[in-house]
Amino acid sequence: MDDQVVAVIENKPLGSSYGLLSLDAARQAQAARPGQFAMVRILGTGGVLLRRPMSIYDVKPDAAPHSGPRLIQLLYKVVGRGTRLMAGLKPGDPVALLAPLGHGFFVEDYLEQAEQADEVLHVAGGIGIAALLMAARELAEKGFKQRLFFGGRSRGDLVGAVDFRPYLRQIVVVTEDGSCGCRGYVTGPLEDHLARYPDRRFLLLACGPWAMLQATAELAGRYGHRLLVSMENRMGCGLGVCLGCCIRVEGEGHGAYQRVCTEGPVFWADKVVWERGTLPIT
Amino acid sequence: MPTVRDQKAKVVSDEPAARDNSQPAGDFEPSIEVEIAGVRFQNPVLTASGTFGYGQEFAHLIDLNRLGGICVKGISAAPMPGNPPPRIYETDSGMLNAIGLQNVGAKRFLEEKLPFLRTLRARTVVNVFGYTTEDYVRCIEILNDGDGIDAYELNISCPNTRCGGMVYGNDPKLTEEVVAASKRAARLPLWVKLSPNVTDITVLARAAENAGADALSLVNTFVGMAIDVETRTPRISNVTAGLSGPAIKPIALRMVYQTARAVRIPIIGLGGIATTEDALEFLIAGARAVQVGTANFYAPDTSIKIVEGIRTYCRRKRLHVDDLVGSLQVPTPNVEKATEY
Ligand SMILES: Cc1cc2nc3c(=O)[nH]c(=O)nc-3n(C[C@H](O)[C@H](O)[C@H](O)COP(=O)(O)OP(=O)(O)OC[C@H]3O[C@@H](n4cnc5c(N)ncnc54)[C@H](O)[C@@H]3O)c2cc1C
Ligand SMILES: Cc1cc2nc3c(=O)[nH]c(=O)nc-3n(C[C@H](O)[C@H](O)[C@H](O)COP(=O)(O)O)c2cc1C
Ligand code: FES
Repeated sequence: MDDQVVAVIENKPLGSSYGLLSLDAARQAQAARPGQFAMVRILGTGGVLLRRPMSIYDVKPDAAPHSGPRLIQLLYKVVGRGTRLMAGLKPGDPVALLAPLGHGFFVEDYLEQAEQADEVLHVAGGIGIAALLMAARELAEKGFKQRLFFGGRSRGDLVGAVDFRPYLRQIVVVTEDGSCGCRGYVTGPLEDHLARYPDRRFLLLACGPWAMLQATAELAGRYGHRLLVSMENRMGCGLGVCLGCCIRVEGEGHGAYQRVCTEGPVFWADKVVWERGTLPIT
Repeated sequence: MPTVRDQKAKVVSDEPAARDNSQPAGDFEPSIEVEIAGVRFQNPVLTASGTFGYGQEFAHLIDLNRLGGICVKGISAAPMPGNPPPRIYETDSGMLNAIGLQNVGAKRFLEEKLPFLRTLRARTVVNVFGYTTEDYVRCIEILNDGDGIDAYELNISCPNTRCGGMVYGNDPKLTEEVVAASKRAARLPLWVKLSPNVTDITVLARAAENAGADALSLVNTFVGMAIDVETRTPRISNVTAGLSGPAIKPIALRMVYQTARAVRIPIIGLGGIATTEDALEFLIAGARAVQVGTANFYAPDTSIKIVEGIRTYCRRKRLHVDDLVGSLQVPTPNVEKATEY
């Protein structure tokens, strides 16, 4: 993990409210593992105080044919002041980047679980997709069969799906308004799939809004499959010191509350206590 | 390809680069050491409780040995689980927090956290809280066995837990009671961290001084709140929460100024400090040392940049830090003119 001032290489708008930001951050790109995230601070503007957490969507080599990754890419959705400033970044602008952070998908017996599974199912809600691309690539390189269930409010919210194509056998698209794929929630076709193959063993990886993760956890539990969830919460520091990002998780740790930034963001879903009465983050 | 990385990286605080001295500093080398209740600090800049973990979390980001001291996250006799999420929310130039004083408890602090802190040149100040006077005393008694603690900082001002520090920090009698009992138990200097959520902070400051406090830290967070108008729910599960960050600085500064004129014991000033100029304001208003809080979250190198900034300022002004403390010049109004009206 490193704290660096890095330059924007490219900031590509994707429709009206999404974008892909490429940052020149070789050292951090080389250290990044699937499921890890970055804390981003936009410098030189008085707009926001705290850094914003963003999944490391991808790492890319630069044009030169040598060496390893050089760019860190962040896929973002404009939801408020910080992400609006992010959308305004131009090539050459400086950004303070603290990365890579957190335990990614490669926690404990994750690969073992994948090996025992017939298929890995990715479940993404909206911008949650950003946490899954590097995992999909890594698993594809290891020869795992994979499928993606991708839900969004509308057609325009299904950004990034094309990037997954090389690694998956199928992408199932769902929108709440029916503008693309079938209409409804992502958990609908996911449940159909689980019900259709009662004898198969799946490993599920999911990222998205809390309600979607909770519903996915309920399905995974009911059908007896293991599920890794990448959790979101407001973050003050990303360093494990403010304790602002804690969620309730069974077992040891900082009491019963664990830090999404440090013990997470990826947790086994059956360990997460989906507290009733918890306020939505947004 | 533009690479800001090539210009000195790791520089992310709001602190402007040190300005060129207009006058040559000559051979004057200022002393920036300070003494608080018999303990010497190599410089007057500490990190504030709850914003710097137990120090180790920052070890690979900054040189901890350059800090004056580290105030660790509030410790209680028994571990505390903390509040349900959401616990934080960003507001204009500040943030709200209601963490609920989650911590590992005094025993595990001694076993797991103190050995690392002991290896540093920065002083270790342990922030202590409880829900009854006996809790505070019990916590201090456990910590007394620790090796490498330089002072205690009593948190009588935490606004986050319903039955917690709030009561102590807002009532001069309760303040006296908990400070006196803690002072009797403590083998080390006792700092008392005051709550700003009072009408007249000097009343509480004097109560703490009378009860034996060796120094005062001020301020803790201001109680505030924020509402999501779409859902008509509070932004924080605890409903109310503590406001910190640049937004509170002018009020914190005023409180330090007033308190410095009301007590004889040293004051450690904090609240919204993010630059050298902020820190200097607190020193000039009467604080002998300062703490950096919320700024650690977004710019971890803030404190050490402030150390260097204070050194540069003192060289330029040919002053030692001790000369700076409480050196505010208030011009006397022109009386003749004033009486014309
Ligand atoms: C580990 C992690 C990875 C993330 N990865 C991505 C990503 O790859 N791409 C992406 O676009 N977003 C991601 N997010 C969410 C992103 O951090 C928030 O959308 C962002 O902080 C909002 O900032 P803002 O200033 O634009 O909004 P604000 O003005 O701060 O708030 C706008 C709204 O967003 C909500 N919000 C604020 N912070 C968060 C948060 N951390 N999580 C969820 N909602 C929040 C606020 O409550 C508010 O309703 C991630 C969050 C976490 C914790
Ligand atoms: C997330 C967070 C946690 C805090 N925890 C503690 C604590 O445990 N004990 C304490 O005395 N003060 C605590 N504080 C208060 C700070 O030490 C400090 O008094 C306050 O934030 C004002 O300074 P600042 O504006 O520089 O942050 C906390 C503040 C924040 C933001
Ligand atoms: S964001 Fe501060 S502890 Fe996780």
